[in-house]
Amino acid sequence: MKSFNYISVVTLNQALEALQQEKENACLVAGATNVLPFIRYKKINNKTLINIRNLKELRYIQETDEKIFIGSLTTITDLEKSDILKKYAPALVDAARNFADPTTRNSATIGGNIANASPAADTAPPLLALDAVVVSVSKSGERKIPIDEFFTGVNMTALKPEEMIKEIEIPKNPANSHSHFIKLGLRNAMAISIVSAAAVLEIESGKIKKVRIALGSVAPTPVRGRTVEKLLMGQDFSDKVIEKASSRIHEDISPISDIRASREYRQTVASVVVKRALQKIGGIY
Amino acid sequence: MNEINITVTVNGTEINAKVKPELSLLRFLRGQGFYDVKCGCEMGDCGTCTVILNGQAVKSCITLAAQADGGTVWTDKGLGVCDDITKRLQKAFVEHGAIQCGFCTPGMIVAGKAYIDNGGRADREEIKKAISGNLCRCTGYKKIVDAIFDVAEKIRKQE
Repeated sequence: MKSFNYISVVTLNQALEALQQEKENACLVAGATNVLPFIRYKKINNKTLINIRNLKELRYIQETDEKIFIGSLTTITDLEKSDILKKYAPALVDAARNFADPTTRNSATIGGNIANASPAADTAPPLLALDAVVVSVSKSGERKIPIDEFFTGVNMTALKPEEMIKEIEIPKNPANSHSHFIKLGLRNAMAISIVSAAAVLEIESGKIKKVRIALGSVAPTPVRGRTVEKLLMGQDFSDKVIEKASSRIHEDISPISDIRASREYRQTVASVVVKRALQKIGGIY
Repeated sequence: MNEINITVTVNGTEINAKVKPELSLLRFLRGQGFYDVKCGCEMGDCGTCTVILNGQAVKSCITLAAQADGGTVWTDKGLGVCDDITKRLQKAFVEHGAIQCGFCTPGMIVAGKAYIDNGGRADREEIKKAISGNLCRCTGYKKIVDAIFDVAEKIRKQE
């Protein structure tokens, strides 16, 4: 039988109190777009649902000279419309535009998307490629977790039970300003990706000065394409170089076969998606 | 315990109710007799349960009823009485034959209203994106897009 408790909070302090009190029993609910299907399919039970949907103080996109700060309760619609992100982190805007559908984007939040830690989370590859840092918070204070260390397994993160995500930091740099995200799904809307890829690229005098690649739905967690990155560093930017390096992406990923696609298909299209993301950015330079 | 008191204003009427924490807004609304909010996939895929919560379109099957406490909900039926754009959309859906079995219609109309409210123009590609989270199994998308396009264009001409 389904059995849940419920606490509704409106301030961060109340949320942290509730988390401290409930610890492992706590289940934060913001947009509820993941939590309700989980309840329906009995993936979670006997939890205290902590409603943070109205926690307005964590809904913001701000900038300083060096960084962008995105509050965890920022909705995907907010990301889609942000001029700051369009300028400094376009890959994240691409991901927002491809996220579920416009209605779901009104509810779903960036904090929820990464806290759920689905291997297919749409905002994860851009955040990995953009070198983001997750700022978590609990009653004992704040902690910075580099996004590379944040995802620890399918639906598992480095967050402690009493912690929640406060915000996400993204550095402002030329590479991040030249970023792109591509998602391959079975349907244009509400699709869980078959393969997704984000890339950031800085080209100086025709040579690749900086490159970061990240993929979704091809491993238990969103992953970096480090082999391909190494092959590209310092090279002349050309279609041939991109194509050759992208074809080695299979060394960075470990896809499985599931209802959406086979392992072999994912390996094949991953290199194509990475190539296209890089070419698209190259075309902007 | 495990039940909470909520107050939600639905289509202008204040409703007080006791709900379980895990109850969806969809089940709550249907339980209160708002049968124009349809129950389709119940996992956010089909969009026929779309309503306006505190001014924004949401899928009520993936929203907790408890999260609507203190808030305002409008469904297709209520909007059809009070909201000009919705009235025009409902009329356009009939005129364009955009209703076959009618099961997706309430969600399509609310999604269309949200699109026009947010400044959406008479642009077929944009309209398709706006209703991309709403499934029609009679494959009647063309007429639905036509109906929303028609209303958006008439509004543009008035401006």
